[in-house]
Amino acid sequence: MNRWCWLLLVISCWTVSGFVLSGRGHIPNNGDPAVPHQTIRVVSMAPNLTEILFALGLDEEIVGVTSFSDYPPAAREKDKVGTFWQPNIEAVVATRPTVVITLGFAQQKNLAERLARIGYKSLTVNIETTNDLFEAIVRIGAATGKQHEADEVVNGIRTKLEKLSALIEATEKVRVLWVVQREPLRVAGRDTFMNEMIEMAGGENAMGPTVYKYPPVGAEQVIACRPDVIIEPAMGQEDLSAQQSSVFQHWSRFRNVPAVANGRVYVIPGETVSRLGPRLYEGTETIARCLRPHLFEN
Amino acid sequence: MKTDAMSRLLTPGRLIVRTGLALVVLAAVMLACSMIGSEKVSLKAVFGGPGARATANPDYEIFVRFRLPRIVLACLVGAALACSGVVFQALLRNPLADPYILGISSGAGLGAIIAVISGLSWTLWGRSPIAVFAFAGALGTVWLVWFIGRLTGKFHVTGLLLAGVVVNAFFSAVIMFLTSIAKADQVHATIFWLMGNMAEEDFLVLWIGAGCVVGGIAALFYISPQLNALSFGPEVARSVGVDTARVRVLAFGIAAGITAIAVSLSGLIGFVGLVVPHGVRLVWGPDHRQLLPLSAVVGAIFLVLADTLARIIVAPAQLPVGVVTALVGGPFFLVLLIRYSRKVSWLR
Repeated sequence: MNRWCWLLLVISCWTVSGFVLSGRGHIPNNGDPAVPHQTIRVVSMAPNLTEILFALGLDEEIVGVTSFSDYPPAAREKDKVGTFWQPNIEAVVATRPTVVITLGFAQQKNLAERLARIGYKSLTVNIETTNDLFEAIVRIGAATGKQHEADEVVNGIRTKLEKLSALIEATEKVRVLWVVQREPLRVAGRDTFMNEMIEMAGGENAMGPTVYKYPPVGAEQVIACRPDVIIEPAMGQEDLSAQQSSVFQHWSRFRNVPAVANGRVYVIPGETVSRLGPRLYEGTETIARCLRPHLFEN
Repeated sequence: MKTDAMSRLLTPGRLIVRTGLALVVLAAVMLACSMIGSEKVSLKAVFGGPGARATANPDYEIFVRFRLPRIVLACLVGAALACSGVVFQALLRNPLADPYILGISSGAGLGAIIAVISGLSWTLWGRSPIAVFAFAGALGTVWLVWFIGRLTGKFHVTGLLLAGVVVNAFFSAVIMFLTSIAKADQVHATIFWLMGNMAEEDFLVLWIGAGCVVGGIAALFYISPQLNALSFGPEVARSVGVDTARVRVLAFGIAAGITAIAVSLSGLIGFVGLVVPHGVRLVWGPDHRQLLPLSAVVGAIFLVLADTLARIIVAPAQLPVGVVTALVGGPFFLVLLIRYSRKVSWLR
């Protein structure tokens, strides 16, 4: 039994010494901006954040973006720091950022915490609704010294959206089914920014309130919700043309649904409508064109 | 009892030399892997120290703050899982046994997903709620399985295994239910955890983790002669004077403990606990006095290598390390199995 006591003793001593050592060897946390940074170096951890940064005119200051940041084209040239879900913290640190912009998702918040532990500043913004987007643009502008540009971007988007709503005012709402995924079928529910865009474009989500944000639905619900228009966003040129060529054949089993009967199933490029960023207006206009093509004919 | 062949197989001198050599290889692998990564790091720059704040030294920061802690973590987790695999295989006398066979994985997974869904955000000694809940879930499940196993009869191996399988399946179902009602971003966070997620850890976490894991392995080494006897069956063990009940409880508790620590540090990393013990057994023989220390070191080497691959294969992104352990470990193990199977009697 003696050697067991020894083992326990050694483990306890080791643990205690760990507490002592870690208490002593603590490097002072340098969250303070004691050294003024002449230049801003900013890393974006999501494609829509990258778009916001470029929209604020930070082309030179961006030193790192995530792998799928593909807009504007200049973003492709930037150093990559991993993906949205699997950020590479070594690559982030290697870019020597003065501020890292992350979204509020668990994986991203975790990254921000790990960076904070060794004294890197990060800004976490939540972008889930259009109001969140405007707020985030302003906050990012404030953190990067681009307050003025941020206000301009926000006002620009707002003005264009108001013009759009003036154009489509007073006409009846179009019922839209927003297909996120064909197999198995999943659509956008009410609690999504797609829903907001549909409403701004003068439509209404054919799907009623649901538990899920992006509810999986059966054929029954598709028929029951009677959409006037079905919209399928597709990412990338290949998916777009593949889905476009098969769209009517795929939906033909829903011949009773008004959207299918009238040939109003649209496959649209997904970049602007699936990513809540500064191209909000472009996305909304794309949707509005699907809902009321006649308004945009000239 | 001792035959010539037995004494040729393992002497204290041989054990020390082999373990020492394995440790040297481990150190070399750690050093080599710490030089590999998506960012180039020069050792010369690392030894320059952290540097002044304004012109901080990125090489030092990446090496000391991220890469080294992660490699040390891989070592600890690999050693813990491999040793725990050895013990479970001996106790259950089942070559398919691994550290997760009695439900630790699903218990830990359930704890983790509950932590994610409830959105807790405190930390306990630098550990996130996920880690704490996973640890508690793992130990709770092991206790539950052990308890059910006892109800089926005094250490009935089949009863214990079945209890483990059923509890595992049940908790997996609960996990699936919870993921299906959780929000998308929460699900993603959990999925990466379930596939084994390595990240750098605080000094204190690594220090205490190292103490517990190394201590646990030392304790298992103490009882390795009894484990040798037990692997011939409880009757044989009792006949040579082993207190089987006590040895079982000890071995079981310690193995479950170090597995729970490993799981709470890095999520569910499969395959290490199954492949490494078998590999070591196939190459160097089944004596637990040697099997335990060598499995610990080989497990550490294996996981350090796997994690390094996980860091660089899809750089700048990273793979979950569990993917790599299965992809690399599977074929490697099959080669070992074919080449060395004649050495081990139960495979013939």
